Amino acid sequence: MTAAPCLHIAAALLLAPLLPGVVNRTKAAFAGRRGPPLLQLYFDLAKLLCKGAVYSRTATWVFRAAPSITLAALLIALTLVPVPGAPALVSFGGSLFLFVSLLGLARLATMLAALDTGSSFAGMGASREAQYGALSEPAILLVLAAFAQTSGTLSLSRLFEGVTPALWHASGPALGLLGAALLIVLLVENCRIPFDDPETHLELTMIHEAMVLDYGGPDLAFVLYGAALKLWLFGALLVNLVLPLRPAHPTAGVGLLIAGLLATAVAVGVIESCMARLRLLKVPLLVLGASALAALGLALLLRSVA
Amino acid sequence: MNPFTDTLLVVLLLTCFLLLGTSRLAAGVRLTAAQGLMVGLLPLALEGSTIPLRIALLAGLIAFLKAGVFPWMLLRTLRVSRTTRVTHPLVGYGTSMLIGVLAVGAAFWLDARLPFSSETESKLVVPVAFSVMATGLFLMIGRRTALDQVIGYLTLENGIYTFGLAIVSGIPVLVELGVLMDLFVAIFVMGIAIYRISREFDHIDATQLNTLKG
Amino acid sequence: MPPAPCLYLALLIPALLALAALVHQPPRATLRLLTLGTTAAVLGLVPAIATVWSHGAMTAADGWLRLDALSALHLLILAVVFLPAACHANLYFRAELDHAGFSRTIRRFAALWFGSLAAMILVLLSNNLGMMWVGIEATTLLTAFLICTHLTPDALEAMWKYLLMCSVGVAVAFTGILLIAAATAHTGLPLTSALLWTSLIEAQQRLDPSLVKAGFLFLVVGFGTKAGLAPMHNWLPDAHSQAPAPVSAVFSGCLLNSALYCILRVLPLAEHVSGHAGWAREVLVALGLVSMTVAAIFILAQRDIKRLLAYSSVEHIGIMALGAGLGGLGVFAALLHALGHALAKPLGFFCAGTVGQIYGTHEMKRLGGVTRHVPVWGIGLILALLVLIGVAPGALFLSELLMLKAAVDQHAYWIAALFLAALAVAFIGVLRRTIAMGWDASAPPPAPPPRAGLAARLLVGIPLLLLLALGLCVPAGLADFLRQAAAIVAGGQP
Repeated sequence: MTAAPCLHIAAALLLAPLLPGVVNRTKAAFAGRRGPPLLQLYFDLAKLLCKGAVYSRTATWVFRAAPSITLAALLIALTLVPVPGAPALVSFGGSLFLFVSLLGLARLATMLAALDTGSSFAGMGASREAQYGALSEPAILLVLAAFAQTSGTLSLSRLFEGVTPALWHASGPALGLLGAALLIVLLVENCRIPFDDPETHLELTMIHEAMVLDYGGPDLAFVLYGAALKLWLFGALLVNLVLPLRPAHPTAGVGLLIAGLLATAVAVGVIESCMARLRLLKVPLLVLGASALAALGLALLLRSVA
Repeated sequence: MNPFTDTLLVVLLLTCFLLLGTSRLAAGVRLTAAQGLMVGLLPLALEGSTIPLRIALLAGLIAFLKAGVFPWMLLRTLRVSRTTRVTHPLVGYGTSMLIGVLAVGAAFWLDARLPFSSETESKLVVPVAFSVMATGLFLMIGRRTALDQVIGYLTLENGIYTFGLAIVSGIPVLVELGVLMDLFVAIFVMGIAIYRISREFDHIDATQLNTLKG
Repeated sequence: MPPAPCLYLALLIPALLALAALVHQPPRATLRLLTLGTTAAVLGLVPAIATVWSHGAMTAADGWLRLDALSALHLLILAVVFLPAACHANLYFRAELDHAGFSRTIRRFAALWFGSLAAMILVLLSNNLGMMWVGIEATTLLTAFLICTHLTPDALEAMWKYLLMCSVGVAVAFTGILLIAAATAHTGLPLTSALLWTSLIEAQQRLDPSLVKAGFLFLVVGFGTKAGLAPMHNWLPDAHSQAPAPVSAVFSGCLLNSALYCILRVLPLAEHVSGHAGWAREVLVALGLVSMTVAAIFILAQRDIKRLLAYSSVEHIGIMALGAGLGGLGVFAALLHALGHALAKPLGFFCAGTVGQIYGTHEMKRLGGVTRHVPVWGIGLILALLVLIGVAPGALFLSELLMLKAAVDQHAYWIAALFLAALAVAFIGVLRRTIAMGWDASAPPPAPPPRAGLAARLLVGIPLLLLLALGLCVPAGLADFLRQAAAIVAGGQP
């Protein structure tokens, strides 16, 4: 029974750094380049773990502890995420709130550390992150609430059990809207174009990069690994929502999830290549749009099931 | 529930949200064109397998007018009135979208309370119709330029037509044609009016047309 | 009821004249076409009205066109308004004949004039509620550019406000018509006759009450916007004050009445489904009283003579709505009031327009001593204003008295008190200005105007005589006709 979840966690821990590699390779393919190797993030992590860290005199324990807190929160959140066809390792009523709260905790730790450095750019990044986070949390909560309403449970692992081909046929548009909302939330939370450019290092345009500007060595390794895990987490939610297959065999479910995640990474790469970054003034509008889509999907799903 | 109908209705709602969030007039005109296309196709989707020729022709005419002729006229008006800058609207775009979400919620709530049932098999038509009507009215009140007000009027008309599809099983063809002709002349007249206003005032900001008071 | 080809003719003549007016010809010829064409169109209506007066309703086009006592009365009102308005337009535009570009302006004016005439006749002749709606929307669109005949900024502003507000109002009214069509879902009426007024009246037992009530509310709000009932009246003062005088006359005398006519058509349906408890009539009474009060308050603050007349129109439409809402004798009084208003208000606009042209301004402070400086038109203006505020022995005094009696008979004392209060406030407001305009010698006199010809004297004199005659004694035939029309509103018997 617990084979699938353990397999899933092992796969996540091992394969999470692969996802940013896939994204970068897709973007390079669009640009006509060869791009960095798929395993680049692994090499980066290995290099960083062997280095030492330098801390500013103005930074306190908050700055030093934040990457660990973030990684810990994301790892716990990983145990809550289900696999298609099998429940998560930890599953109880209300686990979806714990999931969202852990993500919030990770964000909070990063923001506090950014403020702790006393650097103005880090503070600017933290304030923007706070605004986008405040706007995207309603979206993800509404998406999860829609499924909570239809499946009748608040446990994250059992939330997507009802997503079958029948449901897609009956309320396809609603699920489409919820999937679109979740995709927008994925892009916002993982700091992807069109919300934030992960490759920019111009001070006035960074959001996530600004917050982690001062990290080095193992801390930076934790931050990068945590970012990859976050992409895995949101991707897993999206795959659970979109794929209507619920296989019985545990490895089949995990394999399906990995395949879906790779497809998601490619999709993110495609979106990043095809769009430009939005003006900062327009970003709240789009994130609000995600909430609107999620609300609409919730209403439609309630309507079709009721 | 017919998935095709539901998809059309959901796209119609999405165009409402996009209308509330966009600041560009040309984009707004094209969104009303998309709405007109959906609204034109809706009777065909609601009919089912066998579609009488009368309804097919009428749907085609509506789609042609609303998705082709009206946007062409309005874009032409936009061009000749040489509107380049769009000033801030009376209600901000983010607030507009929030109000749009509330309006959709209110529409669904209202639909649950109505004493009559929809003539069609889809349960979504009446709430979507109310939402589109509310969006149209809001656009007329919350935006500044005269062209925005015409876009709001077109959206209102789309919403009323969808509502008509939901509650009445059919309107005589002559009345339908009369209504369409009225709409055509209305957009035509409004286009000319906007052109004249732009000539006389050098702008089409309707909130500045307020010298007649009392 | 034998089918009547004269109904088709009534629609065709103005439509053809509209096309004819676009033909390139000198301005004088267009003005002549305007006058003669309107005369011909109006005369074309007379046989129809006379037939209905004596023999009862007549139909055409498979029941889609129908003329009964109520619509025939409103056709009479239309005739009484359009004919003098066309004659006055001839005099009014004479000063601009040699202006550059006037030829195009007057041709567009004439085409739109005949177009709106055709549309208004369509509204009155339609038995199908949908076609009635099409006609009302057509009148909105065709009269919009009549308002800004002279392309001034104020006129454009007034036209835009009018166009948008009335289009939205009429769109809301369409929702009401859809709701009423939906109410016939289970009555077994075939689709093609679901919107025919006669079929609806026949099937009124079986209509869905909640849908008809909802539809009635939408229709009242929608057509009320077009009729100028407060609080949807904001377009009215601007449109009436910026439009040329003949157009303002047509608006006040005819267009507002046509919109109210549409509400009166639906009133018996709403009354029946609410069990004749008076729910629908209470709505009209409320709107009527609000209109009268708002108009009275704003009249006190007016400086422009045409805006004053416009707010007076709001007041009078409120009075008509109130009368229709009171029922019984009140409906008779409202219809008589409509006829009297159609005689008096255009006269007021003609005189105000001409006096304004002579003085060069519409501000009442600067229009002093009109009775002396501008003999015929000035006296006409003063007398028209006096009749409009209900001075005895005018026709409007009689109808207001009848309405008061109707209210008191029903023991609606509060309504009667509010009615009298609003009338009194408007009376004082207008009388103050009238006396100042008529006899105030302090204002500078204008350039001496040309001597008023026979046409002017007839234009001013005939309506005044008719108003006096109606006020003293309503002929039995006319009273009977009015009673028939009132019966249609009250009980819906076709």
